[in-house]
Amino acid sequence: MKGQPIFRLESVDRVFQMGEVAVRAIEGVSLEIFEGELLVMVGPSGSGKSTILNIIGGLDKATAGRVFFGDRELTSFTAAELTRYRRDTVGFIFQFYNLVPNLTARENVMVSTEISRQPMDVDEALRLVQLEERFDHFPSQMSGGEQQRVAIARALAKNPAILLCDEPTGALDFTTGKRVLRLLVDLKTRLGKTIVLITHNGAIAQVADRVIRLRSGQVVEVRENARPLPPEEVTW
Amino acid sequence: MSVLDRKLRRELFAHVWLLAAIAGIVLVGVACFVAMGTAYNNLTRAKTDYYRQCRMADFSIELKKAPRVDLRAVAELPGVTEIRPRIQFYATVDLEAAPEPLNALVLSMPDRREAVINDIVLRRGAYFSPGRGNEVIVNEAFAEAHGLAPGDWVKLLLNNRSQELYVVGTAISAEFVYMLSPGTIMPDAEHFGVFFLKESYAEDVFDFDGAANQVLGRLAPGTAVSTEEILDRAELLLADCGVFTTTPLADQLSNKYLSEEIEGLQTFAVFMPVVFLTVAALVLNVLLTRLAEQQRTIVGTLKALGYSDWQVFLHFLKFGLAVGLAGGLAGCGLGYLLAEWMTWVYRFFFVFPALENHFYPGRMLAALAISLGCALLGSLRGTRAVLRLQPAEAMRPAPPKRGGRILLEQVAFFWRRLGVGWRMVFRSLARSRVRSIAGVFAAAMGAAVMTSGFMMVEATYFLVDFQFKWLVRSDIELTFKDERGPDALLEAARLPAVARAEPLLNVACTFEHGHLRHEGGITGLAADAALTVPRDAHARPIRIPTSGLAMTRILAQILDLEPGDRVTVRPTKGLRQPRQVPVVEIADSYLGAAIYTDIEYLSRLIGEEYALTGVQLKVEPDPAARAELNRHLKQLPAIQGVADRRTMIQSLEDTIVLNMKVFIFVLVVFAGVIFFGSILNSSLVSLAERRREVATLRTLGYGPWQIGGLLLRESLLLSFFGTLLGLPLGYYLTVAMAASYESELMRFPVILSAATPATTALLALAFTVTAYLFVQRSIHRMDWLAALQASE
Ligand SMILES: Nc1ncnc2c1ncn2[C@@H]1O[C@H](COP(=O)(O)OP(=O)(O)O)[C@@H](O)[C@H]1O
Ligand SMILES: [Mg+2]
Repeated sequence: MKGQPIFRLESVDRVFQMGEVAVRAIEGVSLEIFEGELLVMVGPSGSGKSTILNIIGGLDKATAGRVFFGDRELTSFTAAELTRYRRDTVGFIFQFYNLVPNLTARENVMVSTEISRQPMDVDEALRLVQLEERFDHFPSQMSGGEQQRVAIARALAKNPAILLCDEPTGALDFTTGKRVLRLLVDLKTRLGKTIVLITHNGAIAQVADRVIRLRSGQVVEVRENARPLPPEEVTW
Repeated sequence: MSVLDRKLRRELFAHVWLLAAIAGIVLVGVACFVAMGTAYNNLTRAKTDYYRQCRMADFSIELKKAPRVDLRAVAELPGVTEIRPRIQFYATVDLEAAPEPLNALVLSMPDRREAVINDIVLRRGAYFSPGRGNEVIVNEAFAEAHGLAPGDWVKLLLNNRSQELYVVGTAISAEFVYMLSPGTIMPDAEHFGVFFLKESYAEDVFDFDGAANQVLGRLAPGTAVSTEEILDRAELLLADCGVFTTTPLADQLSNKYLSEEIEGLQTFAVFMPVVFLTVAALVLNVLLTRLAEQQRTIVGTLKALGYSDWQVFLHFLKFGLAVGLAGGLAGCGLGYLLAEWMTWVYRFFFVFPALENHFYPGRMLAALAISLGCALLGSLRGTRAVLRLQPAEAMRPAPPKRGGRILLEQVAFFWRRLGVGWRMVFRSLARSRVRSIAGVFAAAMGAAVMTSGFMMVEATYFLVDFQFKWLVRSDIELTFKDERGPDALLEAARLPAVARAEPLLNVACTFEHGHLRHEGGITGLAADAALTVPRDAHARPIRIPTSGLAMTRILAQILDLEPGDRVTVRPTKGLRQPRQVPVVEIADSYLGAAIYTDIEYLSRLIGEEYALTGVQLKVEPDPAARAELNRHLKQLPAIQGVADRRTMIQSLEDTIVLNMKVFIFVLVVFAGVIFFGSILNSSLVSLAERRREVATLRTLGYGPWQIGGLLLRESLLLSFFGTLLGLPLGYYLTVAMAASYESELMRFPVILSAATPATTALLALAFTVTAYLFVQRSIHRMDWLAALQASE
């Protein structure tokens, strides 16, 4: 059931210049991401996962190589085009949720609906992540799992086609982490979102449609997962 | 309201006290700008309207006596549009109720009401009636001081004859906005009045049939010929009429005081706001840099969500702009009220038909624009960091602050002696360089404002002491109508209650040195004069030269003279023969610019044996004896004016003491606002940056007071160095200000006693500790356990 490739990376490098030394975060990375799939990228810490995700999400620029979004070349987008792209096309979810501390759950979601062209209803987005009772709570009054769900609602509320998740369960305990995974899987199946999830936790790869394994900034394995496990059955 | 604005609003409320403190600095700056600017506008407007209403003369020419027909030639001069000959005399008034004789200036006005040059504005009663000749219109302030009203009679000594005059009205005139009687320095409505007489009557009493002794004139606006040139030509034209002086409007006494006050306001209206707004911008800069740093991740997240750089930038900018706007609006309000007060004070000194406080939308808009501009500048640097921050970068933890050794550590012997607390303090100051610079700068400005303010207060008291305790020591000064011989002195000495009498000879002259020229006068004193004692800059008496002049410093500067130089002196009376006279001493004077010499020497200069124009008297304090003296003085026809110094000093001291109290209060509050705002900001920012460190110290067993002590030490160091810089800065500021205010009318002494730096330092300490107490409160309230766990 493979859809169209919506992202195509061709020999992408990203070099960070740190004073004298050049750090090669990723080197010659070529890969494809297909519409409607749940792609998990795994690799140890420092292997370049976030770098790839940031490049795909338009937060960072490749030093060399080309990145295509559909038939448009992401690597040649202007700053304004990148902003539009981030606003309308992708939704980001971060390991530490990155909520605005002095805004309530609902207001945090509004942060993204207010700039979106076709936003979802704020309450509906929060219902999707099962946070009905927490609308008016501030981040400091919520647990980590709840905060991450607000962050997911915030990403969803813009109605993006693609969700980019950077270690979304990394700061969560086992059970809460699994609930968040379940939510993401549901979003894929029910709303048809394309989901890219990166993690250093190999076990999580079991829920993926496809797995890309990274090491030292290079792709070492691309594997189809014939039978993805439901999140409830995964253990780590 | 967008959610980001809601976030902003909550952040503003969360830091409301700190922001209020910073807005307070903006407020003070803007209030100064608005208050002084508005007062400036009020005065300018009142002046323009009044001058137009009274058709204020552009020049006047004083002469001995000339037929009106001869004066018409002046009107023919190019540039002159209109002239008016007038009769003017000094006289004394004898009021039943007033113990002493009072001084009067008598001026002629047309018999029938016409829109003449230097017209009057009637306040009560009416203009002259066609019937009676001996009618008079009295200037309002004098009438009010003595309860004179239309229908009353007053007795004036005119041309040596006592005349009863019928008061028909009271009036004011643009010529006397600042009404000084000759020889005084403060308006004294009670002892000096202006009396407007019918022209026909004045001609009669003074034997001035068809003649006048003054010409007033108006010039076409924008004449190419300069006023000086026109006056030079007029002087040539009237050479036969005995011209004493020619006075362009710029030199007219009342106008000169008024214009100088207006100019001074303008200088201050720029200077004070610049100081305060610069401090505010620096303090805001520190705060916003911190805010942007603290919200790094939020910035990155917003960008990742699709907010454009500009949107995020604007969001942070609004934080600073809100502070600027709040300070600006409040400053406009306070400034308007202050202007109201200033205008009220001005009404004591300046007489206008209407001197009112007005609302000037343009000035308020400018004030708001300035405060927003200052906030913008202050916010820009911190906020720009937000722009540069790449979203991917923002997600990563901030790179650790510069660590390593600081410069001070290389002074090993010093560093080794420091306890760990002091080491932390010094490192913290050295590592947040911008914050430390801002703190020192603010303290320096606060200290400078106080220093120069206190110096001005000291200068004022010194000036009054110098003038009235050291320089002029007589109780009463009598001015004669004409020059008199030595017998007049003997006569004066025989008056009742007179303990000592000394002669005075005032000669108006023109001084010339090279191409430099100045109109002024020379005062001749007895060789052993004890009632006027010329002094040098340190108030030490100087010798009265028996030949040559003791020149006032300011005139020596104007004429570029040094002791030993010769100056050309041309008396405006008598033979008017130019003489080369040596300058032998430099005297100091703060009010007026007298030039002293020996009376006999001066008499010879004008071709006389021994002449005097007045006497100074030391009078016995016994009130009964004084009353007796006053009775006698009232009957002396030869006297043109009587100056009672005691009443003068009293009224001067009353006014000055009140004004100085208000001035000091306002000044200290303003300086306090600077200190308080800047220290609160720098301590709270320091505290926020070091939450982790503070939390760690708490777990190690440090108490809140010990932690507060570290911050207090930082603040004290900043204030200490700031004050250290601010003291000389304030001193030189005062020197510069004194120099810019300097004129022949007035010079400001630069006095620095130990009290000024001591008070400044003490107040700086007090402000610092007060601000620290607020910081201490935040430390007590800080949730340090949360700080320890936070991911920041
Ligand atoms: N902004 C940056 N500056 C310097 N080095 C960076 C930067 N971002 C990432 N790196 C380096 O690139 C490598 C890959 O980082 P990252 O993509 O974050 O790995 P991962 O997400 O797999 O842990 C690491 O060595 C990291 O230190
Ligand atoms: Mg990562």
